[in-house]
Amino acid sequence: MTPQIELVDVQKHYGSFHALKDINLTVPKGQFVALVGPSGCGKSTLLRSIAGLERISGGTLRIEAQVVNDLPPRKRDLAMVFQSYALYPHMSVRDNLTYALRLNGVSKAERAKAAEEVAGVIGLEDLLDRKPRELSGGQRQRVAMGRAIIREPKAFLFDEPLSNLDAALRVRMRKEVRALHDRIGATSVYVTHDQIEAMTMADHVVVLRAGVIEQQGAPMELYDRPANRFVAGFIGSPAMNFVPGALTGAGTVRLELPGSPEIGVEMGGEAGRAVTVGLRPEHLIVGREEGAKIPVTIGAVEQTGSSCYLFTEGDPEVLVTTEGTSAIRAGDAVSLHVAPGHVHLFDPKTGLTLRG
Amino acid sequence: MRRLLNSLRDGIGFDTLLVILALSYLMVFAGLPLIYNIVISFQTVDVFSLGTLVHPSAGVENYESIFADRQAATVLWNTVIFTLGSVALQFTLGFALALFFHQNFTGATWIRGLFLAAWVMPGLVVGVLWNWLLSGDFGVINYVLESLGLIDEPVFWRSNPETSLYSVLIANVWYGTPFNMILLAVGLSSIPEDLYEAAELDGANAFQRFWTITLPMMRATIGAVLALGVIFTLQQFDLFAAITQGGPAGSSTVAQYWSWELSFREFDFGRGAVISVLMIVLVLFVSLFYVRSTKAETQL
Repeated sequence: MTPQIELVDVQKHYGSFHALKDINLTVPKGQFVALVGPSGCGKSTLLRSIAGLERISGGTLRIEAQVVNDLPPRKRDLAMVFQSYALYPHMSVRDNLTYALRLNGVSKAERAKAAEEVAGVIGLEDLLDRKPRELSGGQRQRVAMGRAIIREPKAFLFDEPLSNLDAALRVRMRKEVRALHDRIGATSVYVTHDQIEAMTMADHVVVLRAGVIEQQGAPMELYDRPANRFVAGFIGSPAMNFVPGALTGAGTVRLELPGSPEIGVEMGGEAGRAVTVGLRPEHLIVGREEGAKIPVTIGAVEQTGSSCYLFTEGDPEVLVTTEGTSAIRAGDAVSLHVAPGHVHLFDPKTGLTLRG
Repeated sequence: MRRLLNSLRDGIGFDTLLVILALSYLMVFAGLPLIYNIVISFQTVDVFSLGTLVHPSAGVENYESIFADRQAATVLWNTVIFTLGSVALQFTLGFALALFFHQNFTGATWIRGLFLAAWVMPGLVVGVLWNWLLSGDFGVINYVLESLGLIDEPVFWRSNPETSLYSVLIANVWYGTPFNMILLAVGLSSIPEDLYEAAELDGANAFQRFWTITLPMMRATIGAVLALGVIFTLQQFDLFAAITQGGPAGSSTVAQYWSWELSFREFDFGRGAVISVLMIVLVLFVSLFYVRSTKAETQL
């Protein structure tokens, strides 16, 4: 099957600044792909390059097997939802929704019908005659979505569409956007800086940093098997703890923590080799007897009700999360355990994941 | 006195003081002359009675005599042509230039700044400048037109009754275009870039983007620019004084110039005031339109 969108060795230069480097990405029909990374990583540039709002400097960009490198945005048949929504302020919701149809010469009656239909899908039937300024943030967001789906484009491009909404609405819209994607069988590329959005919504997550794809794959693959320290630290919330250590050669790693504790790992390796040990806060278990032990003193405790954040004393600080409430107080000495399968090892110099 | 000191020390009531100051200024230097102007338009005022406070009433005699004047039709027609022609051309050229410089090529800001040179010049200077350009014997414009083969013999722009009004009109278009350009450029730059991007993705070509995004988004600005254009054109006096003095034979006289002529050449202050009053009424309507436009601007 031909991929809906395909990027081969795509480059983007702004003068001497190399914004996108050797981007290779394939988006099959019907897939929801998230581009995620810290600000300035090039994820928006990548999305705008797909849209045609930026011209790529090298490589090949195909949409439905057609090379579109030199095609202007209006001929690419893609729909985009902007962070600012970019609704036309002088048009009613109905005119906003049907703008693309009007340009295409669709008759007034058909446009009205399409507007009613889409308004039903996004739940805005009663607001069709309003102007954007009379809508709430969430409603504007829906109009932006509606404007995209009314055209049945080849793919949907989302540029951080939920970042202007409040937290509760964001969580709800996350589900709605994904449900909408599934219902209309769309192909979507979704840019976000929020890794939780990427993990929960996407089939395929692309992690970018400084214009380079650090890793791409299914969300849980990125979580379970990060390719390097950056991805390990970026995916997962709260972020992974990193502790310097050294391999012992006997299936354990010695941590540079008070008491030099040793914990089991799933690789041998040369004894004495320096490594960076990655431990996810949710994989550290407090005070169970089996498994290796890491003696620590708790420096601070944060309770949220549903979970509890324990910060250890000393440097590097290690964060442990436990479910529910906890009786542990600051100053308590406890022992941490971790299963060998949950210990990640990275090369301290290159940051790449070490595998046994 | 104590209250004033308090107000200076604590700032209490200072806002009221500022409002009173501004209002008194307007009242003394704009309100009273305006009212006086309306009053004398109903009176007989000549050089001898100008110094006295009370003048003999003339009823609506001044108004009747203005409308009955055989020059009235010419002046009215000239004013309409001059105003509509100036505003239409200034606006069209200004908008075209604003769009041109909005492309942000290298040096765009610099060249746009140079265009403002025309606008900051005093009207009399612009008038003298255009006198040279339009001069019949050695004017640059005649030279260019002759070189291009468009005319066979020099056109005496300013002294020909057929062209005299247009020679002032051309100068006025040149004078007012930069102002239109700047106001319209501000309007253009206030349209968010992502609207154009959204429209582009929706399939709009450059022409469609202009008609469906730029023009409707600029509606308020355009209304304001047109209203200001009419007001400024009706105020244009210097160019007439410098280029044609309303002549030859009144062929380029417009209302504002006629009013001045009646008052300060013929010393018929009553009739001069009549024209001012009529123009005030017209400008009042245009101002209402302007205020409505700027209100719509803030609502968007």
